[in-house]
Amino acid sequence: MPNILALDTIHTFIGQFHILEGISLEVPEGSITALLGRNGAGKTTTLKSIIGLTPPRKGTVKFDNVDVRGRRAFDIAAMGIGFVPEHRAIFRDLTVLENLKLAERKKGDFEKHQGMIFDLFPDLKRLIKLPGGQLSGGQQQMLAIARVLVPDNRLLLIDEPSEGLAPVIIEQMMEAIRTLTSHVTVLLVEQNFRVASQLADRYYLIDDGKPVQNGKMQDLVQDRATIHKYLGAK
Amino acid sequence: MSRKNLPLLILLILLVIFPFALTLVTGQPIDKGAPRFWQGLLIQVYILAVFALSYDLLMGYLGILSFGHALFFGTGAYALGILLKYAHWSLPAALLAVVALTAAQSLFIGLLSLRVRGVYFTMLTLAFATVGFILVEASDFRNWTGAEDGLHGIELPDFISPILNRLTFYFVALAFAVVIYLLARRMVDSPSGRVWQAIRENEPRAISIGYNTLWFKVQGVVISGIIAGLAGALNAMWELSATPQMMDSGMTINALLMTIIGGVGTLIGPMLGAAVLQLLGYTLNATLGAVWQLAIGILYVLLVLFLPYGIVGTWRNHGASWQQVWRERIEKWMGTDQVTKRGSSNVKRET
Amino acid sequence: MTFFRSNRTLLITIAVAIIIVFLATRGMSAPTAVSILLSGLTLGSLFFLVASGLSLIFGLMDVLNFAHGSLFMLGAYAGWTIYTNPRLILNTAPLGFALIAGVMLMPIVARKISLPRVARYVAALLAAALVLLSVRDFPLQKLVAFGTTVSGQVVATVDAQESLNAMLTRFALMLVAGIVLSFAWARREKANEETEGTKGTWSRIGAMTGLLVAALVMLFGRDAMEQVVLGTDSNLRFVIALLVGAGTGAGLGALMEFGLIRPLYARPIYQVLLTLGLVFIFDQVVRLVWGPAGAFMQMPGWFANTGKECPAPNLIDWFGLHCDAILVLGRPFPSYRLFIILVGVVMLIGIGALLRGSRLGMIIRAGVQDSAMVEALGINVRRVFTIVFALGAGLAGLGGVVATPFLGVYPGMALEFLLQAFIVVVIGGLGSVPGAALGALVVGLARAYGDQVVLTGIQLPFMTEPFTGSPAIARASTVLIMVIVLLLKPTGLLGKKEG
Repeated sequence: MPNILALDTIHTFIGQFHILEGISLEVPEGSITALLGRNGAGKTTTLKSIIGLTPPRKGTVKFDNVDVRGRRAFDIAAMGIGFVPEHRAIFRDLTVLENLKLAERKKGDFEKHQGMIFDLFPDLKRLIKLPGGQLSGGQQQMLAIARVLVPDNRLLLIDEPSEGLAPVIIEQMMEAIRTLTSHVTVLLVEQNFRVASQLADRYYLIDDGKPVQNGKMQDLVQDRATIHKYLGAK
Repeated sequence: MSRKNLPLLILLILLVIFPFALTLVTGQPIDKGAPRFWQGLLIQVYILAVFALSYDLLMGYLGILSFGHALFFGTGAYALGILLKYAHWSLPAALLAVVALTAAQSLFIGLLSLRVRGVYFTMLTLAFATVGFILVEASDFRNWTGAEDGLHGIELPDFISPILNRLTFYFVALAFAVVIYLLARRMVDSPSGRVWQAIRENEPRAISIGYNTLWFKVQGVVISGIIAGLAGALNAMWELSATPQMMDSGMTINALLMTIIGGVGTLIGPMLGAAVLQLLGYTLNATLGAVWQLAIGILYVLLVLFLPYGIVGTWRNHGASWQQVWRERIEKWMGTDQVTKRGSSNVKRET
Repeated sequence: MTFFRSNRTLLITIAVAIIIVFLATRGMSAPTAVSILLSGLTLGSLFFLVASGLSLIFGLMDVLNFAHGSLFMLGAYAGWTIYTNPRLILNTAPLGFALIAGVMLMPIVARKISLPRVARYVAALLAAALVLLSVRDFPLQKLVAFGTTVSGQVVATVDAQESLNAMLTRFALMLVAGIVLSFAWARREKANEETEGTKGTWSRIGAMTGLLVAALVMLFGRDAMEQVVLGTDSNLRFVIALLVGAGTGAGLGALMEFGLIRPLYARPIYQVLLTLGLVFIFDQVVRLVWGPAGAFMQMPGWFANTGKECPAPNLIDWFGLHCDAILVLGRPFPSYRLFIILVGVVMLIGIGALLRGSRLGMIIRAGVQDSAMVEALGINVRRVFTIVFALGAGLAGLGGVVATPFLGVYPGMALEFLLQAFIVVVIGGLGSVPGAALGALVVGLARAYGDQVVLTGIQLPFMTEPFTGSPAIARASTVLIMVIVLLLKPTGLLGKKEG
């Protein structure tokens, strides 16, 4: 399987702070890859470096073999990358419908995909006219994922989707993400190891902005020592 | 006394002997003609230098942007004027009153305004300064402030009169500037000063370490306000009057200009900026005529765009590397160079 | 029930405001009270035009544009010039267009040429020299029509214009200066190859050609155009003035955002400092060109009739009579001020329609909340920033022209309206257009009422004598209101952004 995304030794700074020191990763097309690590390890910054919100100073970011480092975020996103940030970033004052329509990149995107979206998240149909701020946490997470399904995205960057959600909702969401992989690739950041291990095929573990190890998820699950050391016992 | 202070000491000595040197060179007596004129020019520079320094304390060290600094300057001027002219207080008593008054004023404004962050604070300072300007220009208070004409005819004891004894005034103003600078330097290098800079760099982090940042910010506003007030009072003594111009936005823009030209957060930079602005203004006025203020404005915009660290700031950021390059060249030429790893480079300050 | 709880502050404020208004107007006759109300709405409408743009721009881009009041002023002066005598614009605009067209060449240049640093500085200096050469001995003051000139007539001295050849030389110099400047500015990374593409390049060339053609048309046809404009009926001229004012604002706004503010997004404090510098520059420019004194604008014909049949007994009759005043509850009220109120209302509805009913409006509303996320969705927020900046600036410019028959033009109007707009925006909440409307209402009424106090004094129940004050007190009172609001609810009454 070709790699839809490949990072090569990227270094990202925020102000004076050297957040990412030499992160590399490869994401095969059609897979779910997990980016793991402690709080503050640099996982969110990695996603933001890919989408261009915090551009790396050194290294390459290749999407479909095209180096996108240094491009504006809207350019990178328009190539087919969807970003679902931590804390959802739903537009509170816009309705659910407006949130979805905003994500269109070509006219008719929403019409084309709304069937699939409402199949995955039937609740959203009911809530379609409500302002985003009135949705519960779980519903907002659904909306955030639905949003990146509106245009023709090929890679989804999902940051901590289970954060603050009830276990039942987490199950629903995991089911939705699993269904997605038939036509999108997912790079998932998760601190909840149970969720990550049940969703992802491969993993990359980072600590303090530096790479630690990577490999198949089924191997990591056995490695209790590493899990305990870098992710806290869970 | 470290090597770093040597240039400043030399400058001080030059400024002290300047009036006498000028007399020798031009052959005119020290209290007439060119020497008198230049003393006057430099007195204005000293006063504005202190004003600019007070502004730098807020903007350069605390990271607080105030658009109402003219309020403190003008209050100092009017307070001194009213106390001397109408209440007939003695000069020392009036100056002490200025300190107390500006302290109270800045404390009040600081406590009130620092509760809100960023742009809201800046707008509040502008609002307060505008209220001050409106009140000082209002015809309601003509008996005290002289309204739009200002307060004129302030009387000073003869020994310090800028008309009769300009030389004395010159040294008083110079001493004032030096003393304030030393005090400010002391403050900035003290533990409090370090907290200020921590607040400027990353306030949430400072709070999480446990500092009551509001208290430190208020402290900064009060100290800055008092210094500005004293500068205003001295200005009133120099001009023997207090006018609404001392409290309008133009005055604040002056402070801003001087700080930007000289270099934010360097203390000495804004003082140099004051000198540059005065001299530049005088020269441009002579050469360009009416357009000179526009030229200054364009210069300011260019500085903000391309040279944001000002003269001193840019020197400190890049000067070290230039000095290094020259030092290395000289050593190489003399055959005494060593391959030493340079440990320090200037950390670029992000504003 | 939740409606009342979540809008608690707003409802309390409205209640307090109604109580205050009630108490304050108790001693007044109905016609006076209504007159104050209408005056308040007039001022509020003007404040809204300036404040709405300021609020949106800050809400979306976190840029507090201190030069917003200057855009108001420049729109006013531009509109006044076109209305009174367009000669100044016909002679200066071509030069400006030439410079802009030259500089627009930059991305195209950047693709092939990228000069080393020293050469770029030299080129910049050369461009500056060419600009100065181009405007050497330019008879600026002679071209300006002053207030004493009767509106709609030729400027007294026919030779106030330079010969066409001289103007063409200046035009050419400016164009070359612009081109040299684009060389000085061009750097590899600014080539915009991916974002602009071939289609973009052609539209760029098209725009440049358009500017140059417009400039040349203005130069060659300046006498004819001047006659045409002057010969036009005052009402049509007024409409043209409105368009020119709004256009000047929008154009300057777009230029400002693109050239000066964009480079500084990473350093927000310097952005603010820059806008403050612009305030100063614009103020100086206006004083140098039009003089420090200011001028009045003749009332357009629709609002100018002062014959025997005036004031018009009611609004319907006014449409036929076009009186300068209409009787409201028996008291004459200037009809032009009603027009100002109309403009404000129309713009409020227009902006509301844009925000709620169009995709751009949706992007703006989302961007006010989280512009980074909007960008992550693949939307070019940079371009939206420029558009919104231009829109807000255009509104301010329009406001300036609308204000002119009422207040005249004078350099101080920039800072005056800027401050009031700030107060409006703080009270109403940054980023909220309804908030700006509400704030404008509050401030407008406060000012109108304050002016009435100055005139006749107010008598509160417990006072023995009416309290009078100078106009200064009235102006200071709105600042006081802002301080109170800031302390009680820093995000403003309807604010969308966290303070």
